[in-house]
Amino acid sequence: MHWLALHTAPSASAPAPLNAVALADPHTALAWWMLRFTPLVARVHRSQAHSALVLEVSGSERLFGGRDALLAQIFIQNMPLAPVQYAQGATSLIALGRLWSNLPDCPSDSLPVHSLQAARPHLPTLARLGVRTWGQLRALPRGGVARRFGAELLDALDRAYGQRPEVYPWLTLPEVFDAPLELSASVDSAPALLFGARRLLAQLLVWLRVRQHGVLALELLWDLDARRSNTLHIDAHHAGGQQGRLELRTAQATQDIAHLQRLLGEKLARVTLPAPVLYLRLRTLETQPLAGESHSLLPDDVRTGDSLHHTLERLAARLGAQQVQCVQPQADHRPECMQRWQPWGTEGIENATKNRAAYAVPTSARARNDANSGVADSNMALHPTWLLPTPQRLHVKQQQPHYQGPLTLLSGPQRLETGWLEGEPALRDYYIARSTAAGLVWIYCERLGSKKAAPEHDSRSSDVNWYLHGLFA
Amino acid sequence: MSALQPVSLVTPPLVEQPFDVHAGLRADVWHAHALAGAPQQVQATGNAALDAELPGGGWPVGAMTELLQSTHVHSEWRLLLPALSACGQGPVVLVGAPHVPFAPALAAQGLYSQRLISVSMGTGARDVPDRLWATEQALRCASVDAVLLWLPAGTVRTDQLRRLQMAAANHHKLLFVMRDAQARNDASPAVLRLELWPANGVGIDAIDDALHVHLLKRRGPPQDQPLQLAARAPRLAMLLAATRPASYALACTTHRA
Repeated sequence: MHWLALHTAPSASAPAPLNAVALADPHTALAWWMLRFTPLVARVHRSQAHSALVLEVSGSERLFGGRDALLAQIFIQNMPLAPVQYAQGATSLIALGRLWSNLPDCPSDSLPVHSLQAARPHLPTLARLGVRTWGQLRALPRGGVARRFGAELLDALDRAYGQRPEVYPWLTLPEVFDAPLELSASVDSAPALLFGARRLLAQLLVWLRVRQHGVLALELLWDLDARRSNTLHIDAHHAGGQQGRLELRTAQATQDIAHLQRLLGEKLARVTLPAPVLYLRLRTLETQPLAGESHSLLPDDVRTGDSLHHTLERLAARLGAQQVQCVQPQADHRPECMQRWQPWGTEGIENATKNRAAYAVPTSARARNDANSGVADSNMALHPTWLLPTPQRLHVKQQQPHYQGPLTLLSGPQRLETGWLEGEPALRDYYIARSTAAGLVWIYCERLGSKKAAPEHDSRSSDVNWYLHGLFA
Repeated sequence: MSALQPVSLVTPPLVEQPFDVHAGLRADVWHAHALAGAPQQVQATGNAALDAELPGGGWPVGAMTELLQSTHVHSEWRLLLPALSACGQGPVVLVGAPHVPFAPALAAQGLYSQRLISVSMGTGARDVPDRLWATEQALRCASVDAVLLWLPAGTVRTDQLRRLQMAAANHHKLLFVMRDAQARNDASPAVLRLELWPANGVGIDAIDDALHVHLLKRRGPPQDQPLQLAARAPRLAMLLAATRPASYALACTTHRA
C-alpha cells in the first residue's frame, strides 16, 4: 500500500500555472483529476475550512510504469489544476500526518500528535501527559488509552500503523456534471455572467477529460435576486419565475472550452436580465464518449484555423440557426423544388460537412450520384445560376415582357409540365431572354390549363402571364 | 577551399553587368512598369485572356479581390465558377448572397452543392457588420476554401475592408467581395479590383454574350481597354449560338407586334 495525501497549497507558497483558469470548485476538480490515476480517492476533513485528499496508488503503479513514473505523471507532466502540496506514506494517516505537520520525511513514530485527526480533541490532556509524538502515544498502555480517550483514538492509531484496514467513502465521478457557483457580486447584465460561467466551464473541462466525454448540450441556469425580481418577465430565457435558463447545443461532441465560451458569449449577448443575478449553475444535458482523433501522417496538408463545425456553430449562435444553410438536392423537375436550402446541422450535415473525407476523395456514394445525375447535369448547365425564390411577375407592354427594359427571347421554349399531384400543376414554357441592363434572364410564361385551349405557338397572347425565375450570372 | 568555390562562380556576372539597376533590387520589389510577379499563390481563373492580365496569372489566394457591378446585375458566377470549382474540395461560403444560388446549375458547372454554405443576411445597411463578421469567421475556418461576400452599396468603410484583407492574408483564403459600381472611385485595400458588366446585346453583336471586365486596380500598369470575355458554360454558349437565327426571328416578330 502506498498512500498520497495532498491539499491545495496556499497561493503564496507556490506560483499558479500561467494558463490556469480559475475553477469554480478547485477541491472537487482536484479530486476528479486524481481519479484518472487511481479509483481509491477520498476526501478527509480536518476542520470546517481545511480538507485534504488521500489516494492509494499502489494498485496503479504498474500501469504507469513504477511509483516514480506515476508521481511524475501526477505532479509534473499533468500539471495539477492548482498548486498542491503532497506527502506520501505507507498508510493514509501517515501520509496525512506528514502533510499536516509539514514534515515530509519524518518517521511515523516522531510525527507530532496533533497531526493525528482522532487525537485533536484530546490535545490539551495529551500535552499535560507529556505525549508529543505518535510513538509516545503508542507506547501508552492500550487499556488506559481506551478508557481515557475512547476507542476511536486506539482505532485510529491501529489504522495509522497498518494494523487495521483503512476504508473511506471513496469519491466517484458524477454521471452528470452539475455545479453551482455563487457570484461574488450581483451581476446586472447578461454578458457579464460569462465571467462566472468561465469558471464553471473550466470545471466542466476537468469532468469531461476525466470521463473522456465530449459535451453535446448543456444548460446555464441563474437565480434572479428575489427582492428585485420582476416575476412577470417572460421571454425565451425566463419563464416568469426567479430562474433563467440558457441552453447550448453543439453539433459535435466537444471538449473545446474556448469554443463553448464563445458560443455562450454570443448567446448571452442577446439575453436581457430582468433582475440582478447571484447564483449560477451549469449542468450537462447530453454528453457522448469522445472517439480518438485521427491525424494526417503527412504534415503538409495541415491547415491552421478553426474547424468548420465550430465556425458554423458560432455563425448560427450569433445570426440565428436559420441563416446558416446548406443545400440538399431534390429529385423534382420544378426548379424551385430541385434544391432545398436548410439550416446547417439538421440532416444535411452528412452531406455538407460531417465527412470531410468526401471532399478529399470522391467516394463511391458521390460517384454513384454523379452517375445518376449525369443526364441531368448536362441539361442543368443550361439553367441559371441565380434563382428567384418566388417567380417575379413581369410587366407586359405590347405583348413583350419587360424586366429593366424590354426582353428579347433568345432560346426556348423549354416546356415543363409537372406537379399535378401536388394540386398546383406547373405548366410553363421557359425561355432564355436578354435584358439590356441585366444580361441573360430566365423567364417563363404560364400556359393556361385545359380550360383555355391555347395553341402551341400562341403562348404570347395578351392574357399570358410572364414570370422572371432566374438570372444567368 | 570548398567554401571559396561558390564565390568565384558568382562574382564574374556581377562584374560584367554593372549597369543593370534592377539587379541589385530585392526580388520582392515590384517594378511598376511590369505586372507584378506572384509572391503569393494564385488560382487560375480558367480563362486564358484574363489570366494574362492578372499579376501572377490568376486570382490571388490570401488577398481580397473586389468585383464591382452595377446594382441588380450579378455576373460573378460565370467569372468565378471555374476558379471555385478548381480551388479545392472544401466548403465555399457565400455571405449575404443577393438571390438564391441555384445549386444544380452550379454543380453542373463544377461547383458541387455539398461545398456550398450560404449565410443569408438581411438586406439593410444595418446588417453590414454582421456580414463582415461572418466573413471573417469563415476566413478563419481551416477547411473553407473560398469566401464570397456581397455588400450593399455604399455601406462599408475602408478600415472594415482592410480588416477583411488582413484576415484573408493571415488565413490564406480566396476572398471575393462583390460591391456596387458606385464604389469605383473609393479607395480600397483590395489588391485586385475589377469592374464587370455584361454586354448589353445592342446592335449586330446582340448574341455575342460577352462579359466586359475592366481591371481598376492591379499590381501592374493600368489597363487600357476592358477585356471582353466569353465566359459562359460551353453548353449554354452552344445553345445560344445555335438558336441565333430563331431568336432574331422572335425578336423581329416581337418588335413588329
